[in-house]
Amino acid sequence: MASIKLDKLRKQFKEVLAVEGLNLDIEDGMFVAFLGPSGCGKTTTMNMIAGLEQPTSGDLYFDGKRMNDVPAGKRGVGFVFQNYAIFTHMTVYENVGFGLKVRGCPEVEMKREVGKIAELLELTPMLDWNAGKLSINDMQKVALGRSMITNPGIFLLDEPFSNLDASFRAYMRGELKRIQREIKQTMIYVTHDQVEAMSMADRIAVMYCGQLYQWGSPDDVYNRPVNAFVARFIGSPNMNFIECAYEVENGQGFLQQRKGGLRVPVDAKRRRLLEDRTGPNNLILGIRPEHMKVYQQPEPNALWQGTAYALEPLGPLTIAHTEVGGDRVQVKASGGYRTRPGDPQWVALDLEYIHIFDGETKLVIR
Amino acid sequence: MAASTPITTKATPGSANRRLRWIDMNNTRTFATTLTLPAQLVLLLIMIFPLLAVVYISMTSWSPTQGGDWTQAYKFWDWGRNYVEVFTDPFFWQALGRTFLIVGIAVPLEFLLGLGLAFLFLEDFRGKRIFYALMLIPMMIVPAVAGYMFWMMFQSNGPINAVISAIIGQPFTLAWLSSEAPATVAVIIAEVWQWTPLMFLIMASGLVGLPEDQMRAATMLGASGWQKFRYLMLPMLKPIIIIALVIRGMEAVKIFDSIFLMTAGGPARATESLSIYMYKVAFQQVRWSFAAAAAMTVLVIMTIIASYALRPLQAPQREAQAAMRQAAETGAAGSD
Repeated sequence: MASIKLDKLRKQFKEVLAVEGLNLDIEDGMFVAFLGPSGCGKTTTMNMIAGLEQPTSGDLYFDGKRMNDVPAGKRGVGFVFQNYAIFTHMTVYENVGFGLKVRGCPEVEMKREVGKIAELLELTPMLDWNAGKLSINDMQKVALGRSMITNPGIFLLDEPFSNLDASFRAYMRGELKRIQREIKQTMIYVTHDQVEAMSMADRIAVMYCGQLYQWGSPDDVYNRPVNAFVARFIGSPNMNFIECAYEVENGQGFLQQRKGGLRVPVDAKRRRLLEDRTGPNNLILGIRPEHMKVYQQPEPNALWQGTAYALEPLGPLTIAHTEVGGDRVQVKASGGYRTRPGDPQWVALDLEYIHIFDGETKLVIR
Repeated sequence: MAASTPITTKATPGSANRRLRWIDMNNTRTFATTLTLPAQLVLLLIMIFPLLAVVYISMTSWSPTQGGDWTQAYKFWDWGRNYVEVFTDPFFWQALGRTFLIVGIAVPLEFLLGLGLAFLFLEDFRGKRIFYALMLIPMMIVPAVAGYMFWMMFQSNGPINAVISAIIGQPFTLAWLSSEAPATVAVIIAEVWQWTPLMFLIMASGLVGLPEDQMRAATMLGASGWQKFRYLMLPMLKPIIIIALVIRGMEAVKIFDSIFLMTAGGPARATESLSIYMYKVAFQQVRWSFAAAAAMTVLVIMTIIASYALRPLQAPQREAQAAMRQAAETGAAGSD
């Protein structure tokens, strides 16, 4: 177990700035997800923590001890690679025991330790098999077991489930949470899949273009995104964005849609924020599909009238694509909701859950 | 070749069907045989025929000086007395032992040097590409020219003795090529110089092809450089290493050019390799049938050694073949 501190960590590859001045405090025993699209610097950050890459500048501490100059194998870090990097010419037993073997661990102790890990991961019947002939799912487990055996204080997983089939992925998500609870190690999990990050992590680091955009609990990044990028990246389907401006009429403040002139009233608190700010009156209204409702008849609380555009029936729910005043929005409707393209629709917004972003900086106004 | 049944030819149009009736296109084995037939005939002519001719001559006491060409050799048929002579000729066995000594020292040296250099070339350094090209030059030099070069260098007043003299600070005038052990050393040095590049080339391509993530995984698990080499690289390179050693070993057994130019097998017989021995028997003593028997004996010995050396490679190969057969069968079944 160990805490991790990144202090202005920076990595530059020739012309590309992969990671830009990253500061992060990860507490002991935390389950952290690095979330972001490919090329956002999450894997590079992970490699720097592991010691596979040297930071261009900045410092790295484990439990307050500076780690920059400690070689990769001596940091007490377990690493699971995206393609598992199984030693295909060895048996499962030799793979799992490799970390002990290179430390000169006696055979008897190695047998016992490998046995324990195999029990935990349900690998016992396969110990004598050639690791190169395993299924992808079992390779994943061997890769996990191999890095667990030396009992590292920190565990790094680089998109470990991206090659698995969907049902096994869901199963392994649960397994990994259970394992993390049992071994209580600090785990960092790199993923571009927000569902994985939301469902497993205690804390999420949302990264983009080498920068840390937001660091918070799953609840934070979902309900209180700091900017339009985080807001759009978290949640499925994506948050709807509508360009608008702040207007006041008859003492009532509201956001007016740029394209179609539709209006959304704003409460006193948001109004104060909007009136206090300077700069161009260029705003983005963000609202999640689950915070809207769609009707086929006029409803008293349905502010907007629009036209049905397309429908995605997903079984338990239906995504209704609707055109309102020239902007296209996605709304979550009940599983049985059906409509034809071109039909009139009425859309209600839960005003509690609207987000307002600055149109220039894309930062949230809160 | 089995004639096609109506069922197997249902896909081809009528006229073509009749013309190609004798080739069963749906039978993979027959189809493959048909396609490779010309190549097999050429192979038969250039490989099997000379081999059979050598076997034939080796069973006679024919020699071109006795009149009549080789087709008449059956007139001198003597039921393999040559083989008895080969087996009882001490010079043959000495040449064999000497050749194995040269190969046994030169080839492992070439391998170790080649592997070491390949490791150096894994790192990036200035002028790497130029050095890479320079490294390969010895291999591209005609062996006879290389032999001549080393003949000059190993003269008692040649550059090698000059360098040694400069290093030890007193005149060094060893007559390398006319002293027994030094002549063998000189031959081995020439061989190593010329063929280390081939080993380097093979090992460098093998190292580049190693899966990087497995190396990184081993690093993360705390393996040292040596442990990574011992437990990962070596086992993964094993097939390449075996093939490289076998190819080089078989080639080196034939060593001739450099020895012929440097020492012509001398002093006395000190560097007489199998090829030099056979050359002398055939072209100086004009004992063609005896030379043929010696050649056949060497061929049999080399075949036995090579098949043992390649044995570690055959298990995975058989597995791969079985897998391919299975895949072909399921594929054929799927398309029906």
